[in-house]
Amino acid sequence: MKTRREIRARKALRDRIAYHGIGIGTAFFFLAPFMIGFLASFRPSSESGWPPLPPWPLSGISFDAYRILDGFGSGVWQHTMNSLVVSLGTVVLTVAVSVLAGYGFSRYRFPFKNALFVLIIATLMIPFQSILTPLFIILARLGLNNSLFGLMLVYVTLQLPFSVFMMRNAFDAVPKEIEEAARIDGARDLKLLVRVLLPLVMPGVATVSIFAFLNAWNEFLAALVLLSSNENYTLPVLMMAVRAGRLGAINWGAVQAGVAVMVVPCLIVFLLLQRYYMRGLMAGAVK
Amino acid sequence: MTERDGIGVALSGVRKSFGALQVVHGIDLTIRDGDFVVFVGPSGCGKSTLLRMIAGLEEVSDGEIAIKGRDVTDLDPSERGIAMVFQSYALYPHMSVRDNLAFGLKMARTERTEIEQRVGQAAEILKIDHLLDRRPGQLSGGQRQRVAIGRAIVRKPDVFLFDEPLSNLDAELRVSMRAEIARLHRELGNTMIYVTHDQTEAMTLADQIVILRDGRIEQTGTPRDVYENPVNTFVAGFIGSPRMNLLDAEWSGSGKVRLAGCEIGACLDSFRPGERIVFGIRPEHIRIVAGGTDAVQATVEFTEYLGGTRYVYCRLGDAQNLVVELREGDDIPSGSAVWLTAPPERRRYFDGNGARIG
Repeated sequence: MKTRREIRARKALRDRIAYHGIGIGTAFFFLAPFMIGFLASFRPSSESGWPPLPPWPLSGISFDAYRILDGFGSGVWQHTMNSLVVSLGTVVLTVAVSVLAGYGFSRYRFPFKNALFVLIIATLMIPFQSILTPLFIILARLGLNNSLFGLMLVYVTLQLPFSVFMMRNAFDAVPKEIEEAARIDGARDLKLLVRVLLPLVMPGVATVSIFAFLNAWNEFLAALVLLSSNENYTLPVLMMAVRAGRLGAINWGAVQAGVAVMVVPCLIVFLLLQRYYMRGLMAGAVK
Repeated sequence: MTERDGIGVALSGVRKSFGALQVVHGIDLTIRDGDFVVFVGPSGCGKSTLLRMIAGLEEVSDGEIAIKGRDVTDLDPSERGIAMVFQSYALYPHMSVRDNLAFGLKMARTERTEIEQRVGQAAEILKIDHLLDRRPGQLSGGQRQRVAIGRAIVRKPDVFLFDEPLSNLDAELRVSMRAEIARLHRELGNTMIYVTHDQTEAMTLADQIVILRDGRIEQTGTPRDVYENPVNTFVAGFIGSPRMNLLDAEWSGSGKVRLAGCEIGACLDSFRPGERIVFGIRPEHIRIVAGGTDAVQATVEFTEYLGGTRYVYCRLGDAQNLVVELREGDDIPSGSAVWLTAPPERRRYFDGNGARIG
């Protein structure tokens, strides 16, 4: 006769298997594309036309794909640097502007504050493809087309509505008394913002940074339209060029290598900031 | 100039309006140097606003504020020689206790050795030396409050401002922190201004109580003064728990007041017969007597037994309610009829508008 304890133990085991089984299965579906791409990037060029499964190289690991990638345009390092400059610049500018704007919207009373805020949020509803032409013309007038700085400005503009919204929420969650205590302690203006408030809105800053970085890093269309000379291409545009291949044939190996190169910085940024990021998304939800 | 030395804080004609809404109506108040002053009043009476104006966190719409004879009306909070303790503690969560205490001094560019010495001193006074390296999140409510007070102490302010500092603590802790604040005032001797709606805190801590209502001062005085000699029915009803019994009555002429069909003596000479007045008497001053003259008949409704004392809820003949506090004697069954009286010197009289007349 089975004892009650055995039945319970068996049920617990079943539950655990189901729980972890579903978890592993889900993780597999998310990770499989990365794994396939990563493994395929090590195939020698003779294998690059082969069927995608199995994804791993059959005749020994080769770095051909990476060599081909590096042979494109001005070399993969140059384009990675372009992407990094644009993305990090976007992060810095976005954070700087959205922290100040978020603080202003959260703490100051001024006429049409809410209307203005809604207006900023409303710009999220405009598909950015539709304003690409005007943006192109404006940048051309400013002499900023085909410049990484111009592209950075475009990305910052696109990133700001969401970022201002995030930062306003972050500042709203900071109790007013802390700010008042700091004022009594003699902290004013920028000192107050940097030494007291900024550490408290770090989760918001992290969230804004991650979004700004990822969006700028992965953005393709604006970069394609606004950048015209080869040495200024960012990675997504390079990937497009690589994909075109020679004689209409697509060099899948080089594409996979490009994907592997592009994923790495995103992973690093996300892993560095994820601790804050999760809290940032929660902020204001539960008080 | 000699008189100025004795004045801690002076408010003259201080007003505050938010748009068209005036919340503080011309406050004049002088606080002696070293006094512990408590602002009490119901919520929305402007007591916190007044405190925040003294702190400089709220702009003054009109009037002047002087601290130790120096006009501070338009000065920055950090330049007023004040320190404030908030209800929510308002500690900097990302700094250790030590940095929380030192922050104000660092902002003022105080020397490092001096900072260390002052932080050490404050920590010792408040017995938080062992917590200096922790973050506020790792402290209990009482400890956080100590740190908040410590942050005020290190600034060596002329005036301490407390904005309902104990209302976030549980009952037991509140009592011990109350004693702590009283000890602090004895030891430091600074002027302290304390806002609360808890009248026990007000009565126990204050040298002077300022009772506010709707942005106006109703009465200023020592706790004994406001308790025993309230200037109007509002103060009489606000200070004391259970509150003073305030009963509708009528002058009946020849030194007597008619209350619920009975006549009781009133040692007053100026009165007009037939005029409505309010008769006030504290629950602890009422005695139960066998009956007869100078007493009122009432019916006992129910009794609350609190151990050291009992509150007997009674109803008068004209359906007015009153509370009697009894410390000894037998239980009185509900429904029984009793005669109540009070010593003439304890009786208080207010006119129809609530102002004290005797």
